[in-house]
Amino acid sequence: MRLTVKPLKQKDAGRGLAAVDRAAMDEIGLENGDYVVLDGNGGRAVARVWPGYPEDTGEGIVRIDGQLRQEADVGIDDRIDVEKADVKPARSISVALPQNLRVRGNIGPHVRNKLSGQAVTTGQTVPFSLGLGPVSSVGGQKIPLKIAETDPEGTVVVTDQTEIEVSQQPAEQITGEAPEDARQTPDVTYEDIGGLDDELEQVREMIELPMRHPELFNQLGIEPPKGVLLHGPPGTGKTLMAKAVANEIDAFFTTISGPEIMSKYYGESEEQLREMFDEAEENAPAIVFIDEIDSIAPKRDDTSGDVERRVVAQLLSLMDGLEERGDVIVIGATNRLDALDPALRRGGRFDREIEIGVPDKKGRKEILQVHTRGMPLDEEIDIDEYAERTHGFVGADLEQLAKESAMNALRRIRPEIDLEADEIDAEILESLEVTETDLKAAHKGIEPSALREVFVEVPDVSWEDVGGLEDTNERLRETIQWPLEYPQVFEQMDMQSAKGVLLYGPPGTGKTLLAKAVANEAESNFISVKGPELLNKYVGESEKGVREVFSKARENAPTVIFFDEIDSIAGERGTNMGDSGVGERVVSQLLTELDGLEDLEDVVVIATTNRPDLIDAALLRPGRLDRHIHVPVPDEEARRKVFEVHTRDKPLAENVDLDDLARRTEGYVGADIEAVAREAAMAATREFIRSVDPEDVDDSMGNVLINAEHFETAMDEVGPSVDNDTRERYEEIEQRFDKRENELEETETSRTFQ
Amino acid sequence: MTLEQQTVGDAEIRRFDYDDATTFVADLGDGAAVDVVGDTAIVVTDGRQYDLSLPENQDATAFMKNGVLTIEVSP
Repeated sequence: MRLTVKPLKQKDAGRGLAAVDRAAMDEIGLENGDYVVLDGNGGRAVARVWPGYPEDTGEGIVRIDGQLRQEADVGIDDRIDVEKADVKPARSISVALPQNLRVRGNIGPHVRNKLSGQAVTTGQTVPFSLGLGPVSSVGGQKIPLKIAETDPEGTVVVTDQTEIEVSQQPAEQITGEAPEDARQTPDVTYEDIGGLDDELEQVREMIELPMRHPELFNQLGIEPPKGVLLHGPPGTGKTLMAKAVANEIDAFFTTISGPEIMSKYYGESEEQLREMFDEAEENAPAIVFIDEIDSIAPKRDDTSGDVERRVVAQLLSLMDGLEERGDVIVIGATNRLDALDPALRRGGRFDREIEIGVPDKKGRKEILQVHTRGMPLDEEIDIDEYAERTHGFVGADLEQLAKESAMNALRRIRPEIDLEADEIDAEILESLEVTETDLKAAHKGIEPSALREVFVEVPDVSWEDVGGLEDTNERLRETIQWPLEYPQVFEQMDMQSAKGVLLYGPPGTGKTLLAKAVANEAESNFISVKGPELLNKYVGESEKGVREVFSKARENAPTVIFFDEIDSIAGERGTNMGDSGVGERVVSQLLTELDGLEDLEDVVVIATTNRPDLIDAALLRPGRLDRHIHVPVPDEEARRKVFEVHTRDKPLAENVDLDDLARRTEGYVGADIEAVAREAAMAATREFIRSVDPEDVDDSMGNVLINAEHFETAMDEVGPSVDNDTRERYEEIEQRFDKRENELEETETSRTFQ
Repeated sequence: MTLEQQTVGDAEIRRFDYDDATTFVADLGDGAAVDVVGDTAIVVTDGRQYDLSLPENQDATAFMKNGVLTIEVSP
């Protein structure tokens, strides 16, 4: 029966499975686990039946992975014959390992375990993982294991009774019935790409369709597309995708890397470029892949050298000049789209620009599945959980995560490995397993690469560490956590989430602490901006700093951007011209970033200040920092809670009465109370160390308690940092803000028309 | 715990929801056996036994073929 080939889902790949849709299964009379022969145009492969995906039912689809597709010599969307196969169990098979792999001991059982149930033919190469997938240096993730001999001959199935021998001859010297693959294409299949299904579909539509069925385009009377430009942050899989496409399509593939074609002789750089395209044309249909295309095609206005300009011009005319390019498709990849010459970015040259973005949770899960496929994972590891906890990670970071956790597992068995010996014990190999702890440790050490410049270690502060500020807490949570946690509610209410929050209040009341707690609890990426560090001595660079912060935040959404002491960079405009206006331009940039034409999706700004009266009024209007939260001087009840937080782990004597302390510390802010607690502890420590023999310190340490007298001394030393005047001033400001929020329109107009 | 959250050795159990039935499959490798007793499927592979609890009050049939375990549940 002829069925259409489709790719298999990432997690089912690599085990010789063919997912046949249910209707077709009934028709051929197949059951799960049956062997089938897939007869393509040039090849033949044997696979086991796996239930078809529910969405395929009745569509006549068979899904197989890249390895089987290569064996059967078919591509995606090709038709293939699927028949029930009668396959004999193998009495014995002999396998050959690559020359550079040296293993001591009997790996037979391990091989049998991995191959169990699979169908093999002499000469076939089976990818095989020896324990630690990505770490093994041989051929990327898998070791190519070659089947040297089978008994009986033909296609056989490995069973529990099959004897496995390791052939003395290395795999390189065995040539089987299968013809050697002469193509110089990379060994990446569609199943090795996770989380980019839509993008992949677009690329395939642009590239496969014109190559396979040019007549479609003739019928429509249009020229088939000639080029695709892939762009996105580094590490998201642009090159990988080009490799996979090249591998899956039976086309000539050539790659140009920028610096390679540059030559010191006049005109030779362009000639090399021409030669590349000539070669491709001769071997048409062909794909020319230009990696890091910004290096050879920068904007002509910006380049200083003559050579660069000529190379760009040559590339332009090659891609769409007088001469017909023929059946050559160009794929370009770059992570600096704006650096490209604009003439390249028009139809006829690069017809379509496809953005490869930072993966979302589902994408991250698929990518993790790809990278942990050959890895012996502990049963307790929950990939979903890690997909959720890796905001802002790109494919390369996730690969790094998998690799690092495998390295951790390897480190555990390092002592058992004898580096002097030529071979590694097979038992050690088998005992390797990646555990939850390995993965956790690796996760700690890896930060998302796109955020590396601005990444801050998120402080370990939770809402519990914030004493007393319930109201403030609640409002912050509403603004920041709710839109991320309950997006559906916001959608239903047709409500835009707040763009920003301004926390203001006297020094020491806990504004920064609150922001830390938010960063920790919001499960978002966190970028902290210290105002003054944005300023730069060159004109325009300071504003650029602001822009970059926001573009990083957008790329890695959901993100919380935190501006501490925002008054330093967002002062009222038009008052001070002493700094040639840099300050003003930074403010303007901030204004447009917060509420400009570009959308700020899933990015929340938190700003703190203790001089809200100095901040530019335009920044405080709704749509920018729309919520103003006063973090007040704590009242008695709040002070009591702050005391609780700061004395939670301190040994207190019975006579310490926190209520009393709270009552008597009128005007103390959070920082003052922390200081009181610290001073009291210090006083107790002082008394203890002076009275005890240094040798007995360890023994009598447990008896030290902080008593009421110590707190008395401490309170004598630490005075309230906020007096009534200050408090009144902030209350006044709060009233002003409230009023402005209520009577917004009047005040805004009057301000404008002053 | 639902069926697809359980594992048999290193093999993951996959769930496929069709219109008329739900199928659970796992690739265990050759030499495994399965038997259904009440609400439990007993799977033996590599000399170890795994008990999988099936969804309650539903008809379940299980079979093993060439190392592929299939459990079909129809409501």
